[in-house]
Amino acid sequence: MPDGSFAHPQQRQFNPYTDNGGTILAIAGADFTVIAGDTRQSEGYSIQTRYAPKVFRLTDRAVLAVNGFAADGNMFVKKVKQRLEWYRHAHAKDMPLRAIARLIQTMLYAQRFFPYYVYNILGGIEEDGTGAVYSFDPVGSYEREACRAAGAAQSLVQPFLDNQIYFKNQKAAAGQTHPTHLPLSDVLSIVIDSFTSATERHIEVGDGLEIFVVVTKGHSPQGLESIRNVQEVTTRADTDRMFVIRRELKKD
Amino acid sequence: MFLTRSEYDRGVNTFSPEGRLFQVEYAIEAIKLGSTTVGVRTPEGVVLGVEKRVQSPLLESSSIEKIMEIDRHLGCAMSGLTADARTMIDHARVTSQNHAFTYDERIKVESVTQAVCDLALRFGESVHDEDAMMSRPFGVALLIAGIDELGPQLFHTDPSGTFVRYDAKAIGSGSEAAQSELQDKWHKQMTLQEAQILVLRVLKQVMEEKLDHHNVQLAQVLPTTGFEILDEVRLKEIVDIM
Repeated sequence: MPDGSFAHPQQRQFNPYTDNGGTILAIAGADFTVIAGDTRQSEGYSIQTRYAPKVFRLTDRAVLAVNGFAADGNMFVKKVKQRLEWYRHAHAKDMPLRAIARLIQTMLYAQRFFPYYVYNILGGIEEDGTGAVYSFDPVGSYEREACRAAGAAQSLVQPFLDNQIYFKNQKAAAGQTHPTHLPLSDVLSIVIDSFTSATERHIEVGDGLEIFVVVTKGHSPQGLESIRNVQEVTTRADTDRMFVIRRELKKD
Repeated sequence: MFLTRSEYDRGVNTFSPEGRLFQVEYAIEAIKLGSTTVGVRTPEGVVLGVEKRVQSPLLESSSIEKIMEIDRHLGCAMSGLTADARTMIDHARVTSQNHAFTYDERIKVESVTQAVCDLALRFGESVHDEDAMMSRPFGVALLIAGIDELGPQLFHTDPSGTFVRYDAKAIGSGSEAAQSELQDKWHKQMTLQEAQILVLRVLKQVMEEKLDHHNVQLAQVLPTTGFEILDEVRLKEIVDIM
């Protein structure tokens, strides 16, 4: 106490973290990967901004989606980009997707006792040309998967993906099997439907949708031609191609 | 060069008025006293060979270690003050393991060579509070062989911290004769066996003793098996073919 007595013990605490809502999602195809996130940033019932990107292009073939505490997420992406540049200077090549995945693990685990409060999903094209998705927990456990949703509406979206991508609880027609990879047009429909549905049912999801599509070098982005607002962001010829689709989501 | 010797050859961090670092140049001279070491690159892999000077019949020739593994896909042969190479190879091993730990991939041959060369010029008078560093240049040259996404490669490093990529390179006491022989005999489409035999022939030419499977050592880096030192049985087979 200010008077030096100990009559009334008090406890004080400081919480350095907050949850800024939003949802991210990635799905890998045979020769492409789709990585998406909404753009709303909120704290409690307040919207801080309707446009705060959560999906970032890292290299010609790697895209990182970051969800959780926005300040930590932005700083983390900044540091990953810095490490990628150092790597390019030291080894005269872009870091392969698999190496970025491992780097993200070591960077997250380095903060084991004061973690970045972020859930990462890394998507892109592997060295062998296949689409790949890596998902992480805040301290760096990671796994390569075919699809993953994270963030506020994970509990709404992931079961939908389990059903639509992994065909969980579906029985194939007699004499037929479920496909291991879906075509790009189907995946884009699933991604857009996931976000419109999450926007309906979750208050922290909405405002805008950013979808990155990475397509393996030499393969045609079939399924993109029928989509509105596609912008190609490929920087160099003779690499994998990258596209961004920007959509509106409901703002209420 | 010894005619121009002056006070400037004392300090390891003092340039002479002509712009030379004598201690580094002397270190390069030290390599020319070492045993001959040869490396040959082929499309199939890289072959390293060293002469082991067996100075006494009582010496166990198998205890002379002049070719060492850096990683599964990287090997290294040395000439000069071989004790100095231990520090450099230890650094290369740590660098390679750290790379695999952090990036889940094999380090490139050039990157590990660069790491070794970064170490080569880290000598001088250490400042108080700084952990002990090398007080003089390393007196050893290395041939670093390895395979990465760019294929089989061979690098040469010297005490000045310079590194260059070669198709075939000889270092050590017999290096001049050996290098000109390599220049005559090396060709682009060499097979691994041709390379093994070329290495042995070149060593044989510059060695004083008669070459056998006790006084040379051969190692190779292949895409399939990675780095391996050939045992005496396999070495003898190649010696016999030659």
